[in-house]
Amino acid sequence: MAETKDSILAVRGLTVDFSTPDGTVEAVKGIDLDVNAGETLAVVGESGSGKSQTMMGIMGLLAKNGTVSGSARYRGQELIGLPPKALNDVRGSKITMIFQEPMTSLDPLYTIGRQIAEPIVHHRGGTFKEAKKRVLELLELVGIPEPARRIDSYPHELSGGQRQRVMIAMALANEPDILIADEPTTALDVTIQAQILQLLKSLQKRFGMAIVLITHDLGIVKHFAERVAVMRRGEVVEEGRTTEIFERPKADYTKMLLAAEPSGSKAPPPGHAPIILEGRDVAVEYAIGKGLFGGSSAVFRAVDGVNLRLRQGQTIGIVGESGSGKSTLGRALLRLLPSNGSYRFGTTDISGFDRSTMRPLRRELQLVFQDPYGSLSPRLTVGEIITEGLYVHEPGLGRAERDRRAIAALKEVGLDPASRNRYPHEFSGGQRQRIAIARAMILKPRVVILDEPTSALDRSVQGQVIELLRDLQGKHGLSYIFISHDLSVVKAMSDYVIVMKNGRIIEEGETDAIFETPREPYTKTLIGAAFNV
Amino acid sequence: MISFVLRRLASAVPTLFIVVTISFFLMRFAPGGPFNLERPLPPSTMENLMRTYHLDQPLWRQYLIYLSNAVTGDFGPSYIYHDNNVAQLIGKGLPYSMELGFYALILAVVGGVIAGTIAALRQNSFLDFAVMSISTVGVTVPNFVVGPVLTLIFAIMLSWLPAGGWGDGSFRFLILPMIALALPQLAVFARLTRGSMIEALHTDHIRTAKAYGLPSRVVVVTHAMRGAMLPVVSYLAPCAAALLTGSAVVETIFTIPGVGRYFVLGAINRDYTLVMGTVVLIAIFVIVFNLLVDILYGLLDPRVRHD
Amino acid sequence: MTDIVQVPAISPETKGRSLFQLAALRFRRNRAAMAGCVMLALIALFSFVGPFFSPHSYDQVFPSYVSIGPSLEPRPDTSTLQEVMESVAARARVTLEDFKVEGEAFTATVSSEEPIDPRATRYFDRANEFEHTKVVATEDDGRRLKLEGQVDREYFPFGTDSNGRDLLVRVMLGGQISIAVGLLASLVSLGIGVVYGATSGYVGGRVDNVMMRFVEILYSLPFVFLVVVLVVFFGRSFILIFLVIGAVEWLDMARIVRGQTLALKRREFVGAAQALGLTDWQIIRRHIIPNTIGPVIVFVTVVVPKVILLESFLSFLGLGVQAPLTSWGALISEGANNIQSAPWLLIFPAIFFVVTLFSLNFVGDGLRDALDPKDR
Repeated sequence: MAETKDSILAVRGLTVDFSTPDGTVEAVKGIDLDVNAGETLAVVGESGSGKSQTMMGIMGLLAKNGTVSGSARYRGQELIGLPPKALNDVRGSKITMIFQEPMTSLDPLYTIGRQIAEPIVHHRGGTFKEAKKRVLELLELVGIPEPARRIDSYPHELSGGQRQRVMIAMALANEPDILIADEPTTALDVTIQAQILQLLKSLQKRFGMAIVLITHDLGIVKHFAERVAVMRRGEVVEEGRTTEIFERPKADYTKMLLAAEPSGSKAPPPGHAPIILEGRDVAVEYAIGKGLFGGSSAVFRAVDGVNLRLRQGQTIGIVGESGSGKSTLGRALLRLLPSNGSYRFGTTDISGFDRSTMRPLRRELQLVFQDPYGSLSPRLTVGEIITEGLYVHEPGLGRAERDRRAIAALKEVGLDPASRNRYPHEFSGGQRQRIAIARAMILKPRVVILDEPTSALDRSVQGQVIELLRDLQGKHGLSYIFISHDLSVVKAMSDYVIVMKNGRIIEEGETDAIFETPREPYTKTLIGAAFNV
Repeated sequence: MISFVLRRLASAVPTLFIVVTISFFLMRFAPGGPFNLERPLPPSTMENLMRTYHLDQPLWRQYLIYLSNAVTGDFGPSYIYHDNNVAQLIGKGLPYSMELGFYALILAVVGGVIAGTIAALRQNSFLDFAVMSISTVGVTVPNFVVGPVLTLIFAIMLSWLPAGGWGDGSFRFLILPMIALALPQLAVFARLTRGSMIEALHTDHIRTAKAYGLPSRVVVVTHAMRGAMLPVVSYLAPCAAALLTGSAVVETIFTIPGVGRYFVLGAINRDYTLVMGTVVLIAIFVIVFNLLVDILYGLLDPRVRHD
Repeated sequence: MTDIVQVPAISPETKGRSLFQLAALRFRRNRAAMAGCVMLALIALFSFVGPFFSPHSYDQVFPSYVSIGPSLEPRPDTSTLQEVMESVAARARVTLEDFKVEGEAFTATVSSEEPIDPRATRYFDRANEFEHTKVVATEDDGRRLKLEGQVDREYFPFGTDSNGRDLLVRVMLGGQISIAVGLLASLVSLGIGVVYGATSGYVGGRVDNVMMRFVEILYSLPFVFLVVVLVVFFGRSFILIFLVIGAVEWLDMARIVRGQTLALKRREFVGAAQALGLTDWQIIRRHIIPNTIGPVIVFVTVVVPKVILLESFLSFLGLGVQAPLTSWGALISEGANNIQSAPWLLIFPAIFFVVTLFSLNFVGDGLRDALDPKDR
């Protein structure tokens, strides 16, 4: 606990600099931190806050262009500036790490058994054969089923959650004093996130090591950490016990972060609101493993017999984990990929429509994507990007009129209209998402499908984008289909929720009903994982 | 594994067939023939020759005759080397080309991988700069420049090594042609290795290995190098096929009695069968080495195991 | 990882910099690449403009100067002139009594037992070294002639080849041919490759399968040998050579463009364009092509030296452009054959050849770094 001041890792005046072609970037600007024995310290911050680079600097893992200075003492031993050989005695033995990307953090060419054994063999001596028993124990400990069989698996044969368990097994192999977990659950589905966090917690109880949890997710912090350090732009802006920080935040930035947790709710549209988009028995199939000569091929049903009705002014939230078919459903509803089922837009039956017959309807049915970096063509100016739809739907428009509309659209999404001659790479993630929204809004659509529009954004930015989307809905009477894996955002945005799993709807209903009295165990798990940890 | 090899060998048959067909008709549609000499032959001799070599038959018949003979391993008589048929010529020349090519391949792979690894580990150092400069020279200076220069220095000026020929087959005769043959490939291997090694050193799993305090030797050799070898192994197939089937340039410069020269000589003299024979030879080497490399690749990378 | 890139504050007045402008900036900062550019420009200038400043043409033969070494001194020097004059006199069956050179003019006195026919001056003009020889005085009943004329002095800074042609001009011509073949063949392969690859990638499905299968089969044809066959059997004209080389070098280009197209097709901005209702052609024009240009440019800088090497390889085998035309490859081959007696024949073309390939290499690396900065 913090009061005991049993500090085993003392960081003082730590700085991390990166030399880039555009000059030196100060990622960490002289921070102080203490890790006490057996505690859980959360280092919280948004992207670019330097939270990861602090730990990378201490562990001597910075990229080639990075330099670290200052002091970090592990039980009195200075780690900064230690020669690699001496540092290697600490790394992987006394202090271990797990990383965000379980997909790439393991060497794809070796079995997991061998990779877990490596730190054992190198720190404790002995042979790989002798280490095998310990590896089996560890696999058992982290909850890998059938360890005796799995020990010879390669990383690509495991799921993301299992790989993260393997990483944890590796981290525990030498019973460390400190385990640094760098966004350990960010790349995982919510239900698996909860399992991994629980595993870490139970292992901490058993082995008594300190955990440094690096995360952007305040939800995790609240239930997991005893102490919190909030970082912003390379500085620690606030540090203290978790309960205190959450109840009485002092720094403005912390307050802003806490307030950025999505809140509010949406009232359902009046019952007589007309149905604007309807899909019945929507099914999407992919052939997998198709032979060159069209031999027998397996069929994968990404969406399997889904019915959906969207009323004017309504927001339907579709939630589900990766692979549940929620994005595919969104695209099928817009008739952007080949699918079965019948579809209506307003009073028009669009089931048999092909690309060219759909084209006039496209301006009324718009789509906003998840990745604000990938969804804007890097070679076009912002002005060209947002007016692109006008070329198709109002080809007769003059240059001046197009420009006028671009200005209006940018103003509407809260961007400086003067920035329309700039290129996407000059904008931040949140600004880019606003550009993507402007591109959809300039056409004055009636239905917008939002495919994880906030998932790639920092919390504080997320809130602003949600606010903007709500505003636009109110102003133009839009109907949304809001696809997300993030239940807290869905709760704030939508009045009706559909829960999907393996291409099917397993539960649906009014938002309040779903969140307060979920029926299906899967829905309960999802909600539990998102709100309680 | 065995079924994979068999399937690959089966799919090689249509490829070979297409290669033979394209080459055959490409040559025959071109103007001129093997006996259109500067001084025309008497009509009776010409007729005899044409009949002996089936050149009086319609093209499709010739094609069928060629195919049916080729299947039995008979690649026909050579038009210019009257005493030998194509199979004999290749049988005589191939051992020379293969021996020379084998040494050159070893030199290129070993030298290139070592140089590339060193350059990657000392990225942007003087050593890196030196390796990259030399490999740029290797890639850009063709072997018909390197060959004569080597001869000039080591054979003529210093008289350390023979200038050419096979001699008694001792290694001294092989050194210069081996270097000339290997240098461009060595440079390619060095660049490939350096690039993939640098990439491999930046992967997340290397960061993991470092974070677990593994000695840098283990990090580099067991983790980075094995991954970095994958693109190098892929290049092995075309490289081995090219080196082992002889080089027209190097064999000409160093007067080595290999098969490399046959193609050019055959083409210039319109020795159809000789050209076809070398085309088939090279295609077979390419196919076989692609297969070998795919198997090797599967052994290195568990993600592409061929069951 | 957390991104440490700071987004610059947006100031309202300035226009944004496009990715190409940024790439150009990065490229200009790369010293090796810029040096490569300058070298290429100089070599191109040398090859294409140089011949206008040379008094010799590429097929002009100087029988008196066969295989002479490179020198900045004018040819012939005075002592050789004396020898040449003596040999000319011997050929004209006259005795040389006196010979003087002053600047560009010479005076000679010749005598003979018999009266000399004034037309004997023709013998003097016939030698490369002398021209406008005329009789200024006749003495001794025509048995002694005083001759005056001009010394024709030639500069051969690179020496001459075994046919007595000026190597400097030959290297310039070789450069023209090699550079032209390199560029034109690359354009041919670029054209075929981009169309083929983009079609295959964008159409996808079974068409893509068949098209790529065809490329694979072509890959297993022995490449260089295919070129040799085509050149031997269809003739050795300049146009054919670059067409043939271009026709076999397009495979890599097609694969690269296909890969790019496939990757772009999956990018969200293409999905966004489809959702906006753009047609296929509009998507290809506005989104696919502009985004493939980068890798294609980089690849062209790889193809050009490859093509130049291939052409020189053909020339080395005696299958390149026909004499009196020449290319660097042909010159190098000649030089290699005379490496003991006339090493300059190898050295000069090889220097230009290697410097060009080096420069292309640096420019290519620079372009790659500039267009794809994440590699650093």
